[in-house]
Amino acid sequence: MPQRWFLLSVSLFVCAASAEAVAPPAVRSSAGAKAGGTEPLHRTIDRLVSAPKDFAQFDAGPAPDGEFLRRAYLDLTGTIPTATVARAFLKDASPTKRQFLIDGLLASPEHSRHLANVFDVMLMERRADRLVPRAAWHSYLRDAFAANKPWDELAREILASNGADPKTRPAAKFFLERGEPHLLTRDIGRLFLGMNLQCCQCHDHPRIEDYRQEHYYGIFAFIGRTTVLNAKGTGVISEKADGETTFQSVFDPAKVTKTSLPRVPGGKGLADTVVPKDKLYVVAPTAGAAGVPTYSRRARLAPEVTRADYEPFRRNIANRLWAHMLGRGLVHPLDMDYPGNQPSHAELLDALSADIAARKFDMRGFMREIGLSQTYARSSALPAGVKETDAPLYATALLKPLTPEQFGFALMQATGLTDSIRQSQGKTATEQSLYTALSPNLAPFIRAFGSPAGTPQGFDATVDQALFLANGPTLRSWLTPRAGNLTDRLLKLAGNDAVAEELYLSILTRLPDAEERKEVADFLTSRTKDRSAALQDLAWALLTSTEFRFNH
Amino acid sequence: MSGPPPAAVKVDPTSARLVRDFKHTSPFVGCRFDPTGQFVYAGAQDNAVVRFQLDSGKKTILNGHKSWIRAFAFALKEKLVFSGDQAGKLIIWPIEGDAPSPIATIASHKGWVRALATSPDGKTLASCGNDNLVKLWAVPEGKLLHELPGHANHVYNVAFHPEGKFLVSADLKGVVKVWDLAKGETVREMDAKILYKYDQGFGADIGGVRSMAFSPDGAHLACAGITEVTNAFAGIGKPLIVLFDWVSGKQKLLLRPKVNFQGTAWGVVMHPAGYILGVGGGNGGVLWAWKPGEALAYHALTLPNNARDLDLHTDGRWLAIPFFDNAVRIYDIGPK
Amino acid sequence: MTNRATYACNSPAHDLSRRSFLAGTAGALGSLSFGNFLHGAAAGKLEKDQKRVLVIWLSGGVSQLETWDPKPGTNTGGPFQTIETSVPGVHICELLPHTAKQMHRMALVRGINTIEDDHGKGAVIMHTGRRQEPGMTYPHLGSVCAKMLGSDRNPLPGYIHVTPRGNGGVNAADSAFLGPRYASISLDNGQAPANITRPTELNESSDAERNALRLRASERFLKKRRTADTEAYTHSYDQAAQLMRQKDLFDVSKEPAKYADMYGKHDFGRHCLMARRLLEGGATFVKVTHSNYDTHHENFDFHIEQLGEFDQPFAALLEDLHQRGLLSSTLVVVMSEFGRTPNINRNYGRDHWSRAWSVALAGCGIKGGAVSGKTNANGTAVTDRMVHGGHLFHTYLKAVGLDPKKNFYIDQRPIPMADPKASVISEVLA
Repeated sequence: MPQRWFLLSVSLFVCAASAEAVAPPAVRSSAGAKAGGTEPLHRTIDRLVSAPKDFAQFDAGPAPDGEFLRRAYLDLTGTIPTATVARAFLKDASPTKRQFLIDGLLASPEHSRHLANVFDVMLMERRADRLVPRAAWHSYLRDAFAANKPWDELAREILASNGADPKTRPAAKFFLERGEPHLLTRDIGRLFLGMNLQCCQCHDHPRIEDYRQEHYYGIFAFIGRTTVLNAKGTGVISEKADGETTFQSVFDPAKVTKTSLPRVPGGKGLADTVVPKDKLYVVAPTAGAAGVPTYSRRARLAPEVTRADYEPFRRNIANRLWAHMLGRGLVHPLDMDYPGNQPSHAELLDALSADIAARKFDMRGFMREIGLSQTYARSSALPAGVKETDAPLYATALLKPLTPEQFGFALMQATGLTDSIRQSQGKTATEQSLYTALSPNLAPFIRAFGSPAGTPQGFDATVDQALFLANGPTLRSWLTPRAGNLTDRLLKLAGNDAVAEELYLSILTRLPDAEERKEVADFLTSRTKDRSAALQDLAWALLTSTEFRFNH
Repeated sequence: MSGPPPAAVKVDPTSARLVRDFKHTSPFVGCRFDPTGQFVYAGAQDNAVVRFQLDSGKKTILNGHKSWIRAFAFALKEKLVFSGDQAGKLIIWPIEGDAPSPIATIASHKGWVRALATSPDGKTLASCGNDNLVKLWAVPEGKLLHELPGHANHVYNVAFHPEGKFLVSADLKGVVKVWDLAKGETVREMDAKILYKYDQGFGADIGGVRSMAFSPDGAHLACAGITEVTNAFAGIGKPLIVLFDWVSGKQKLLLRPKVNFQGTAWGVVMHPAGYILGVGGGNGGVLWAWKPGEALAYHALTLPNNARDLDLHTDGRWLAIPFFDNAVRIYDIGPK
Repeated sequence: MTNRATYACNSPAHDLSRRSFLAGTAGALGSLSFGNFLHGAAAGKLEKDQKRVLVIWLSGGVSQLETWDPKPGTNTGGPFQTIETSVPGVHICELLPHTAKQMHRMALVRGINTIEDDHGKGAVIMHTGRRQEPGMTYPHLGSVCAKMLGSDRNPLPGYIHVTPRGNGGVNAADSAFLGPRYASISLDNGQAPANITRPTELNESSDAERNALRLRASERFLKKRRTADTEAYTHSYDQAAQLMRQKDLFDVSKEPAKYADMYGKHDFGRHCLMARRLLEGGATFVKVTHSNYDTHHENFDFHIEQLGEFDQPFAALLEDLHQRGLLSSTLVVVMSEFGRTPNINRNYGRDHWSRAWSVALAGCGIKGGAVSGKTNANGTAVTDRMVHGGHLFHTYLKAVGLDPKKNFYIDQRPIPMADPKASVISEVLA
């Protein structure tokens, strides 16, 4: 059965030794249909995206197999497929092969690893490791995604852990590395609720009437009593039993001081539980001991933020996962969700938000539905005669610049570094062993392409990045022939056409067209004296091409 | 040190005790006893030369400098005091008198005058400074006799060998040059580079021979300063006195405190009885004493503040130490 | 002007085209509202009237008393004297004899009070014109200048930092929300940027061939998928190639010997000479760090040494820029994270002091010989025209012809270029 063979090949080439990956994709009972409805989410997506009346005339149509394969691999596993997988997928005639691909990738250990990276960058924004080692945090996230831990549960753990219990300490990284309550207020709003309330620290948002200072201080009130106690060099959250959150607007001439109870934006103020004065603390805060109050305002944060019926919480994750797959949030920017900034597809966002809550924040099932949609599968190539500015959103797939991690891993795969390491590890190779061997190579990519600490990952093309790729030792060394890598394989191929195919499949996950085959042949004919160098130059040109740099 | 060598008296450095506490209104940076034995002259951060009469404690301010003074020398026969400042001026004053005023003011160096010394025969004054020069002047008139170029860095100290034929000068980088006074040229170099470091982190030089003294018999030369610097700008390093054997020109001993101290050895004197005494400033102040031939101080007296220089009275008993806390204090190591 | 900018200009309705605008995952970069989106003619004019900025960063905190605001003969004055300068009535410390002769081209701000004695936080104030605040990072002056004064056609990095020791790469945090393109690139000990040299095993013609292949491959892809991001990516290789062709700019050994003498042969002299080469070669913003002035111990000996290194090259740089006609379009700023205590500590040191200290300015937009602000007799307090980092930042921007009251926009949030609570120190501006 071709699909079956192909899935095995996914498993084999994504990871030779994972039982989980070899297992056939689970058919999810909850995943196929919108809870309580008849229309599966992927159909709803397609219906609402294609709703504009002139949509059809701009519709780019389905992406070619190679484009779809590359996109799904990059979005779901953070790298590109091997040439062998690409060949098998292109050959496979099954009409359901794309669904099998999506399911296979979602079940792979590479997927958990990739989402751990994505959520690490999203939640920590490349802050330096000070109190919680990134490795522990990363393992925590990877285990959570491997178990498909629901988002509300994961978010609750992240917002609730105080770092004192070694078992839940990694989850406290979000809190501990920030420490400062204002910074935490801003980032809880941005990353968990899709609201950047930064301006509201000092006054109501001047341009966004829906963002109010009381929203900011409502969140602040949950955590305003906390500090990070770093007595033993580890850092845990210490909380006081008292301390009101008060604020004034810098624009208010009367300087009226207001007080806020803990309150999520749009929610109700949570009255404090009254505790007798002599029983304020389980552990009283001292220079050496973190305070644990009998009544903790902070403890109320996680349940309040992650309530399934709390619209900002579910819209935020639905919007972020959508943006991850489609390259842009329905609310854009991701942290500017307010009535004055309407989603590009309001009904769709409502549907996504309701769906993810109804499926109990099953992120894998949710991403699967997106992955099965025609919207996700649409080509990125504009139809002839169409001006992109006229086309409705998602009539063609958006280009997504590879993140530093995707770019690094994709280059390792394309140059065959990954293959050669896998080959050298032989039968002992596992997803973990490969990741351990390869991930240190990411450092120069994160240095060159990563956004500054404390800011979301963005895209900018700079001259030092180009110099790194053009003259730097990293890419150059990966192209140098070594057993099992791309250059080594190409050198062993007889015939320029075979070279062209292997090159394009390995690097661009597609077969070359006639013009490209001729270009390869002509180039190699002109460079017969130094074939190895010529092959590396050819590979370099494709690796640095725009087609490789973007997920399209 | 200047003037005739102190008499060999019975002293006990472990008995060092405060006997005079002369106060001023500004921190002191250097001081010397005059060879007549009546006064201690000290230079302060208010640009004053302050003369304290040892018996009465009477304070006399000598006005004339426009910068700090750490260099002193004396002409015993003519009863003159020479003071050098950090604006390059050398002033000649009478030792005695109620209100001494400058006899002459000489533009002696470009930049700081770092040290002065008078020759054993009292006829020559040596100076050194930040223009990397050593200069010789005729006593008493202050006429320039010779310029001795050769140092590549600020020259921090000069001293005449007691026999009078040689002059020694030492610089920032611990290069110690021996000048033959008859020939007017360098005849030997000694190596005190251990008192210097280029701090890569700060991009700056740290160290220098902060104090220098011959033993009265001329057999040894001591150079004081800071070594093993780990942080130049915080002054994190260890005090060290390098003791040279004059005949061989080699290092003989490296004198260190017994108990770790952070800072610079700002002063050293060699007592006729064989003891070596030093003071340090940095993380507080200390007076150390070494027995002849021993590398670790056998006595340390905690001082009330950072000590910045050290001199020995001609009587061999009294030590003068200028302090950061606006005081010059006199310590007695003689019999109680 | 870049292809990226062309693309933006050609788009209807100013949206860089929705697809491109949307393609970036970071809204922060996609929607900055002004900067380099200029038409060809404007870009050409910009180059002709190019304004540049040179910052000399005296790392660790230079003493104002040993430089711009000496107080000899007082309890805080230290041992040094003052000297006259080329401006009658303006005296500076004797440690700066060469600089004194350039004073008619310089202005002093003597009334600075930044109320921040921590190195890191002081550096933030002096680089960004704002105090550090949680949750918000502002771009360095260098990044603002790179964005606002630079041309995207210029292959040189917009913000170059010549430093004795650095990390040798891009310091992405410097540019904050302006994006990594405007971050500083460190040239460690004055060495050229990393990876500027073609690998020895790759000859020029092979490099040209592989780049032609790259361009053809990209062109095929871009026929149907062109966006601002793809344009920027392609353009970055053009910039890299241009930078490689200009790599001699980073090689001061190409200068005639007389300049090595004029600037001095030690590191700081070399670095100043490199700064001049870079500015003349079109660099927008160069920062030269001279290290170090954190003189808690032996303040006076160390200032003799450090200012001895600083004085001649700095004066040579001003003179040289003037002779080449560049000074009138180059703002020069000498700054530190703070000054040093008037009080002299027990180790002849001066400690951190932000309450009353000085910055020196010269060149573009600066009124030669002007002095703003005053301190009391022994320098312990500002007595007239007190200013802080925000005022300085306004002044720098104004001096190079920018309007410091304008905003950047991240998404829909206006971010004032300079602290809106501060204003220009107009008396030092021409």
